[in-house]
Amino acid sequence: MATTLVPKIGPFGEYGGRYVPELLVPALEQLERARKEIVTSREFKLALSELLGEWAGRPTPLLTTPAFSEACGLDVVMKREDLLHGGAHKTNNVAGQALMAKFMGKRRVIAETGAGQHGAATAMAAARLGLDAVIYMGEKDMERQASNVKRMELCGARVVPVTSGARTLKDAINDALRDWTQNLETTHYLLGTVCGPHPFPRLVRDFQAIIGREAISQWRKLKGGLPDAVVACVGGGSNAIGIFHAFVPKKRVQLIGLEPGGLGLESGQHGATLVAGSTGLLHGARTSVLQDDEGQILEPHSVSAGLDYPGVGPEHAYLRDAGRARYLAINDDEALDAFETFSRLEGIIPAFEPAHALAFLLKAVRDDELPARSRVLMNLCGRGDKDLDNYYAHYAQRKLGASE
Amino acid sequence: MLTSRGGPSRLKRALREAPQVSPFLVLGDPTPELSVALAKAAVACGAGMLEIGFPYGDPVADGPAIQKADVRALENGTSTTKAMEILGRIHDACPKTPLNLLVYANLVHARGFDRFCEEVVEAGASSLLVPDVCLEESAPLKKACRRARLGHVQLVGPLTSSDRLKRIDAAATSFVYLVAHQGVTGVRGAGFDEVEALVARTAWQLNNPLCVGFGLSKPEQIRRVFAAGARLAVVGSYLANVIDENARGDRLLAAFSEALGPLVTAGQ
Repeated sequence: MATTLVPKIGPFGEYGGRYVPELLVPALEQLERARKEIVTSREFKLALSELLGEWAGRPTPLLTTPAFSEACGLDVVMKREDLLHGGAHKTNNVAGQALMAKFMGKRRVIAETGAGQHGAATAMAAARLGLDAVIYMGEKDMERQASNVKRMELCGARVVPVTSGARTLKDAINDALRDWTQNLETTHYLLGTVCGPHPFPRLVRDFQAIIGREAISQWRKLKGGLPDAVVACVGGGSNAIGIFHAFVPKKRVQLIGLEPGGLGLESGQHGATLVAGSTGLLHGARTSVLQDDEGQILEPHSVSAGLDYPGVGPEHAYLRDAGRARYLAINDDEALDAFETFSRLEGIIPAFEPAHALAFLLKAVRDDELPARSRVLMNLCGRGDKDLDNYYAHYAQRKLGASE
Repeated sequence: MLTSRGGPSRLKRALREAPQVSPFLVLGDPTPELSVALAKAAVACGAGMLEIGFPYGDPVADGPAIQKADVRALENGTSTTKAMEILGRIHDACPKTPLNLLVYANLVHARGFDRFCEEVVEAGASSLLVPDVCLEESAPLKKACRRARLGHVQLVGPLTSSDRLKRIDAAATSFVYLVAHQGVTGVRGAGFDEVEALVARTAWQLNNPLCVGFGLSKPEQIRRVFAAGARLAVVGSYLANVIDENARGDRLLAAFSEALGPLVTAGQ
């Protein structure tokens, strides 16, 4: 029989594990102890709940969307993570991990960032908790997301341009891992999504799971019962796991994740790892990745820098294979249309990332993905201020294309 | 049954007789032809082993010098398939020299563990180090190596506990590779007393021969790690910088031999 690979440490079925150099093992073991001992302690829970309540603005509200629902032929309710301090769900995870780092006696946190949301959230949490922050960001992303670089610097973080590889998120993670290897005694690596070696996928999920826990009880009060479907965009997958997790045992609630289809799956220019990728090892986990047939990691494409990642959290690959969640791809153009539609109908400018989920809802009834009038809970995981420059650049191009 | 042309036991025998110095070379860097020529030059200098990397786009255990070597090799088209062919040519050119491979896990995973191990043995490899598979996840790799009669090398670091060191030693079949600095590959200057103490502390706990790498660049360092009990020293980034500086010139082989020669001599 052929040698098969099944992860041993913290697996999600045949995904997950700990595929890292031996040098990182002591840090990951220390982190696993912290996850079990510090994070579960009464003192930590109290401090985190205070930080999330006073500083980050939890709980975030649910919002009914009459006009958008009408346009979709559905009954759509938004979980307003865009109203969280920092402008996206990322703050849930950084508050948890930065506080944990402080409890662990670390003085320095490092983070990778793509769109800059996780970097900005890390810089803010580090400032609040008195930690030094160093943010690794691809040079190309620094150009695309200049305002987030300014936010990080304003909060006292040092932003290090990453010049290796394609100079985007994947390369920023590589450099953050290299920094951590060298400095693990003083430094906590504040990973921004549910990827990476064990225990990161569980640690980040547990800090993001507050989204779904709040939403379940808010939904009961607002609408009664449970939604028919829960919908979220998926890049690395932390906002989706955050809202899915509490619903996973509620078997009759459909879980749907939307990946970036970029210029279309057939173009090869996309980031739809779960829909069009294959199983590989990336950044410490066995998961679904975009790779060539020899295992070289491919460069993803998406209009949304936050979804532009060639891997995905291993738990999503597991939920997909188990048939518990399904994943579809939404193209750049569909996401941009939904970005405009939602802004006009509801007076809320969404980030490009959740615009992928909005685009799905706008066509879900027509495409027979959901029955008309289904009750849907969507994670509106970030606000769109950061995307305005990018939108107007694309808008000008699109209008030009239409007039030709 | 497959026969191992390099053979893991040949290296162990050589290491019992005398400590050996090995360069680290990336297949296809700076070109496929020149990487074969560099291997020959290294053996002519007296290198007792060649450590050979398959180029990979995301080498997280490596610093800037080796990353650049990977980029050079990938840019000239060194796929895994092409790398296998270059490896075979190196083995043909240096048939008596053990070849230890350094290959990132996803390249092995994509080909299938068994097939990868069989192919590299066929091409002449004697052992395999996959730097991003830690002890707990190493069982399938170990099994595939055993089936292909390929030696299996495991990393340890400065913070590896002595209990863990014993388990890693028991899992390894060729040698144990000590990363001398907590960090990625790269040339380092100061602080060698610590490295020496670490080598001594590690070597006496092992049944396998101890290899030291990451940061070595001076004859004095080679002498000191061998005196402390290491049987093998790998020089990587220092040579990668020499290759980088001379990649386009006609002095590449001369410059490479001038850099490696004194290190090999220091080990004798």
